[in-house]
Amino acid sequence: MLLLPLLALISLPLALALSNDQTQEQLVKLAEAGNGIIKVDDRTFDLLTAPKRDWSVTIVFTALDPRRKCGPCKEFQPSYNTVAKAWTKVPTTERNKHFFAIVDFDESMTVFQKLGLQSAPVVHVYPALEGPHKPASGRTSHITYDFGNGYDAEPLAEQLSQHTPVPIPYSPPIDWTKYGTFLGIALIAVTTLRFISPVLKSRWTWAIITILTTLIMTSGYMFTRIRGVPYSGGGGQWIAGGYQNQYGQETQVIAMIYGLLGSAFLMLTMVTPYQTSPGRQKAQIWLWNIVIFIMFSVLISIFRVKNRGYPFKLLL
Amino acid sequence: MLQAFWNWFDPTAWYPLGRVVGGTIYPGLMATSGVIYNILHALHLPVDIRNICVLLAPGFSALTAWSTYMFTKEMKDESAGLLAAAFIGIVPGYISRSVAGSYDNEAIAIFLLMFTFFCWIKALKTGSAFFGTLAALFYFYMVAAWGGYAFITNMIPLHSLVLIIMGRFSSRLYVAYSSWYAVGTLSSMQVPFVGFQPVSTSEHMAALGVFGLLQIIAFAELVRSHLSSKQFQTLLLASVIGLGVLGALGFVGLTYKGWIAPWTGRFYSLWDTGYAKKYIPIIASVSEHQPTAWPSFFMDLHFLIFLFPAGVVMCFNKLRDEHIFVILYAVVASYFAGVMVRLMLTLTPVVCVAAAIAFSSLLDTYIDPIEPESIVEGQPEGDVAGAVDSKKAKKTAPQPTSTALGDIVSKFSSSSKPSRPHGIFGLNTRLIVILNAIGMLIFFVLHCTWVTSNAYSSPSVVLASSNPDGSQHIIDDFREAYYWLRQNTPENAVVMSWWDYGYQIAGMADRPTLVDNNTWNNTHIATVGKAMSSTEEVAYPILRKHDVDYVLIIFGGLLGYSGDDINKFLWMVRIAQGVWPDEIQEPNYFTRQGEYRVDEAAPPTMKNSLMYKMSYYRFSELFGGNQAMDRVRSQQMPKTGPTLDYLDEAFTSENWIVRIYQVKKEDLLGRDLKTANAFAQGKKRKRTKPPVRRRAV
Repeated sequence: MLLLPLLALISLPLALALSNDQTQEQLVKLAEAGNGIIKVDDRTFDLLTAPKRDWSVTIVFTALDPRRKCGPCKEFQPSYNTVAKAWTKVPTTERNKHFFAIVDFDESMTVFQKLGLQSAPVVHVYPALEGPHKPASGRTSHITYDFGNGYDAEPLAEQLSQHTPVPIPYSPPIDWTKYGTFLGIALIAVTTLRFISPVLKSRWTWAIITILTTLIMTSGYMFTRIRGVPYSGGGGQWIAGGYQNQYGQETQVIAMIYGLLGSAFLMLTMVTPYQTSPGRQKAQIWLWNIVIFIMFSVLISIFRVKNRGYPFKLLL
Repeated sequence: MLQAFWNWFDPTAWYPLGRVVGGTIYPGLMATSGVIYNILHALHLPVDIRNICVLLAPGFSALTAWSTYMFTKEMKDESAGLLAAAFIGIVPGYISRSVAGSYDNEAIAIFLLMFTFFCWIKALKTGSAFFGTLAALFYFYMVAAWGGYAFITNMIPLHSLVLIIMGRFSSRLYVAYSSWYAVGTLSSMQVPFVGFQPVSTSEHMAALGVFGLLQIIAFAELVRSHLSSKQFQTLLLASVIGLGVLGALGFVGLTYKGWIAPWTGRFYSLWDTGYAKKYIPIIASVSEHQPTAWPSFFMDLHFLIFLFPAGVVMCFNKLRDEHIFVILYAVVASYFAGVMVRLMLTLTPVVCVAAAIAFSSLLDTYIDPIEPESIVEGQPEGDVAGAVDSKKAKKTAPQPTSTALGDIVSKFSSSSKPSRPHGIFGLNTRLIVILNAIGMLIFFVLHCTWVTSNAYSSPSVVLASSNPDGSQHIIDDFREAYYWLRQNTPENAVVMSWWDYGYQIAGMADRPTLVDNNTWNNTHIATVGKAMSSTEEVAYPILRKHDVDYVLIIFGGLLGYSGDDINKFLWMVRIAQGVWPDEIQEPNYFTRQGEYRVDEAAPPTMKNSLMYKMSYYRFSELFGGNQAMDRVRSQQMPKTGPTLDYLDEAFTSENWIVRIYQVKKEDLLGRDLKTANAFAQGKKRKRTKPPVRRRAV
């Protein structure tokens, strides 16, 4: 496998002289050898992006060597491989009009330098310049893939399909573990229905579910989900600066404070009146009032961190 | 008059398409103000329509308070109702829409929401078709007023479905739901903007499905009451289930076939939160559609936010049919409010209701002057201890917390038994709780006053800042620029701007606009986005094709006004990319390091974009040789700013917030404007050396 790129390298001066068709044949062979992906070195890069190409190329510029410590590269590589693999299922006539290639920083630094790339991974799509697959917009320069949708294979396949002769026949693998757990839980639920039905029919089960949901939702859980914010900032800092921002840990702390305050009110209303001993009742009332006062002060002080201009404060 | 409203065609909006106003808005708000205006004039009270519009929101907020009172009264009692009304009257989450001058669909919609829910609860409780119909009528009004009516369309069926699942089907439910659904759906279809959606889109299918289910169940109940044979009943059960499954399959089939439209983007984005960002950037771009961080919840609801779960628990304690409604409302609305900031508005009423229930229960318990009979430990239960005894008992040392907690747990598990004696001993215990409660209410009032005066009282067109000495400084650039447009441009001059300012230009400058805040036409908005994010050469034909005479942009770099167009620019790029993925690509507007920069290091695509050029045109000259500084992005601008060939600077407001450019007409000699410009500046067409003369000019 390693021999082939080497071979290509040696035969390059020859290759340049070859006609377009021969270059393409060579590329097809390289692609087949690399399981759908052409491993690019300095010379094959010129072959791939030959000025008279009637094919298009997707190239990922990456740095997989552990020394480079490129986390995103490693995260992205499996997605890229599966998409490239999916492309090999396309009938030959279309398949040979689009290639997938990989440029590793440690193997062909000059390509990186030539393109002025300073970060990885980067995905470029070089459109065909001649022939029937030339883009209708007449675009000749390369297109850079937008990683805005993450490193997953699905958006990659979807976006690249806009530039390939036929859409990439990528279908996400069936998540057996998800279905398996779901089926398992369903089975357990059905078999133990007799035992858990009193739990399901109890209003307090549902009350707990409801209260937890509302607490989590009103503490900005959806914000952390949608924005994908980190659990906490570095160095023990867990409150994000700014009013329109928060960390994952804030959700937990705030939900806990809300829950404690709410339950203190509940205790005062629903539990302490049923206390038959005056002494105990008094102790409880004092306890819960102090809890309310202190927790509310804490809440206000955290809020003052988020909103600097807030003029009110209690204890803290 | 109605006909004239439906047929109202506005040629100045969405130029050159124009806009059929009657068919593309919810007419409720306009109709309401029109009716009020006509009534007042019939009474010979010559009130200006503008005053009505300004005062409409406060007026309707009074009605909201009243309907919240009625709603909460059904849940608990009058005292809780009064508290709820007081809460919703001042809570910032609702004040944002009820201040004078907030002439918005939501201004009347929240009243309609609460009143429809009240009618529904009343209909459900009494089984009266009258209240069911009343709910339907207010539902119709709501449909005519706000797109959020889908919330009612799904809340009432959800409530009914949960009641059915809990085995609480009753003829009251049947009457209430059937009257609401039949009348409500038929009348809502009379609104042109809604049309046949209630029978053809997925948002409305839950209501239809529950309606069908109720008919099947009611029929089954009827048959069962007339039959005794056991086998027949089994058969009936099977057939009922079969019918239900068939109906559900029918829905799936119809959706699959395309007879029932799938969820519209706005609603779909509520469930799949990543959907909007990927496929409909225009929805994701609106700041109101961003997810809500917790400070917003606290800011808008203050101490109600933690009383709210307590109130929900109390609803679980009683769990009558109407309490289930509050519980469902609480769960659904808190999820929605978390996903979108603007839906905080639908959460606010239920928070007020639940918090009022909790708070009034607390006050009921501790204001009640009757003391229970105490049972002193170690003594038989029959021993009656008076107030003196109980006071003595209280003087004993406080109990260790662990036993107190153990007590609580045991009490909590049995607290649902109402027969047990309960009450509060002594006066000082009452006092501390009541003082604490009053303190909280006072704090709430202070908080609401502060938030209202700081966040919701200032108009968005006139900005206020404070001078170093603390006095107020008014920044009036918007009105200055709009007035300039009104006075200095021909009446049919087309103004292009980003859609945020469309209504303002139409209203205050009275000029045709390309796009405005009614964002129904994504392609048209993307066209504007493309023009703004392309080079001058690409943008110019677009501008000319759309007859654009002036381009208006908002620039905050001089003053530090962060809501300007450069900060919104990426959304323009994204929206344009959605339509022209080949020509506009978002990554090209970032530096190689992935930063969004406007200074020297900005990528060429960014520097050549029309928006960048218009924003920073002649900006560096303002600093008289010093380093120019963009105060919003805190970046130092290059010494030589961008040049413009196809546009002329026409007007720049006092603080540079609004900049207006005139689009040049084609060159009379048929040259392209770039060469014409170069010629006018005295440059030769072919130059071998760098232009020396430029320095002299």
